[in-house]
Amino acid sequence: MKRKSIYSYWMLLPCLAIFGIFFMLPAVMGVGFSFLNIRNVDFSTATFAGIGNYKNVLTDSGMNIAIKNSFIFAFVTTVLKVTLGLLLAVLLNNKLKTTNFMRTVFFLPAVLSSVAVGLIFTAMMHPTNGIINVALRAAGLPMLAQNWLTDPKLAIFSVAFVEVWKWTGFTMVILLAGLQSIPEHYYEAARIDGATGWQKFRYVTFPLIMPAFTNALVVNLIGGLKAFDVVQTVTGGGPGTATEVFGTLVYKSFGSGRYGEGCAASIILCVVILIVVLPVYRFLTGKEVEM
Amino acid sequence: MAKKVTGMAAEIFALICSLFMLVPFYMILINSFKSKEGAALVNLSLPDEWHIVENYTEMFREGGLGLAFRNSVLLTVPSVLVIIFVSSLAGFVLQRRVSKASKRLLMLILMGLFIPGQIIPTYFICYYMHVRTFLAAGLVLIASNLSMGVFLYTGYFKSIPRELDESAMLDGCNGLQLFFHIIFPLLKPITVTLFIITFMGIWNDFGTTIYFLNSSRNFTLTLTIYNFFGVHSSDWNLVFANVIAVSLPVIIVYFMAQKQIMSGMTSGAVKG
Repeated sequence: MKRKSIYSYWMLLPCLAIFGIFFMLPAVMGVGFSFLNIRNVDFSTATFAGIGNYKNVLTDSGMNIAIKNSFIFAFVTTVLKVTLGLLLAVLLNNKLKTTNFMRTVFFLPAVLSSVAVGLIFTAMMHPTNGIINVALRAAGLPMLAQNWLTDPKLAIFSVAFVEVWKWTGFTMVILLAGLQSIPEHYYEAARIDGATGWQKFRYVTFPLIMPAFTNALVVNLIGGLKAFDVVQTVTGGGPGTATEVFGTLVYKSFGSGRYGEGCAASIILCVVILIVVLPVYRFLTGKEVEM
Repeated sequence: MAKKVTGMAAEIFALICSLFMLVPFYMILINSFKSKEGAALVNLSLPDEWHIVENYTEMFREGGLGLAFRNSVLLTVPSVLVIIFVSSLAGFVLQRRVSKASKRLLMLILMGLFIPGQIIPTYFICYYMHVRTFLAAGLVLIASNLSMGVFLYTGYFKSIPRELDESAMLDGCNGLQLFFHIIFPLLKPITVTLFIITFMGIWNDFGTTIYFLNSSRNFTLTLTIYNFFGVHSSDWNLVFANVIAVSLPVIIVYFMAQKQIMSGMTSGAVKG
């Protein structure tokens, strides 16, 4: 009797069928569609577009802003989530009385729907009544009060802030798990060698949480580039096209029946993710230290 | 002594940080109790007059929450069960088989962890297959979560010895019997993790459902908030009541099982 026979490929079939039809096939078709002008679902007016869709997405000022914004959004949110997450994780790793309470509170936004979170901040960032501006004026800093969501230059950063608020606790929990896996005696050894607090962090903590750190970074970068929910809820890509990102651009193209351009934008996003994420991942995993 | 002072300072600092998280919740809760005019100011003061019952009954009447709750359950539960069933079977075969073909297939499926789904072609495929609304959204969400499922299960199968399979085979089990009677029960910890990740992801999904569930009869809870805000954008009291009512079940479940939910939701990233 052949040994392999019990691990029959038949058991793989449901997975391959669903994944193939609803994930792989669209990926392949997406490449094809991106070179076509398609206005209707029935292809009645479809014509070959060459690289026209890509050209539009990359050069049309209403569309190529999505690329710029997606980079800004991914970069700003990743840096803030990972930095703040790391600070909070180090803080809560000190076995405070309030550690459990804090962890619960900071993680809470991660379980809520992005739409709910987006609406909360739409209210908080209201220029006249929103509590952010009210608090700034009350603190004697009226010059810092801004049109958070209606100033085209500022809006993408405001939306990024909402995303950071929602996911920092999540990042913190990933990093905290990494911190708590470091054996206590490593710190004792460092203490005996006379290491300062910063040296302990730099030479013990940081190298050993590198795996958790890498994952947090990669997950957040991908999440940032793919962003859709929060942006769509808070600004819908506006004012004008000021906060357009890949996700909202695809949604808009879909809504207005510009399917070819939507596919081109989506393919560009794929390529961007692969170009950004793979080298970051390789670079960081090369730096990990074996425990 | 110095250590005690730093400890205290750290506690106080942590508490101040937590205000950044709690104030928004307090704000929506307190404003959901106010009159329309009071809530328009979206401030943190207590209501002059409490409109708890009026606001919540009006919101429930207009928000269609009962139907939306049913829709959310109808979409989420079957999708999660299919993901668990299909990806555990696939993970089993892909981890146990040591061939080039199975390695390549695994790589292909794991690509889904990075690459975003191509939503427009997916919509076309569903259109031509006459797959609509819940079935379409469900299948697309299943497909986009299979990579995570296969990833978690193949990792977990490494800890289950092959000798177990072999002895079961000697007892006369075939592949499916082996899997369901012996292997699947052993997967419970990772199944719970996957259940949490996919349940939260699909329950809160917006990016896929917005393409496929486009009439109010089909809205999930997440979509109702979005739509409710579109209609009642000047009634912050009702909008906040809506956000509270939709979020409350999730928050209650979270408080009951926070350890599992935290480690479950983050484990996709921790094990990556």
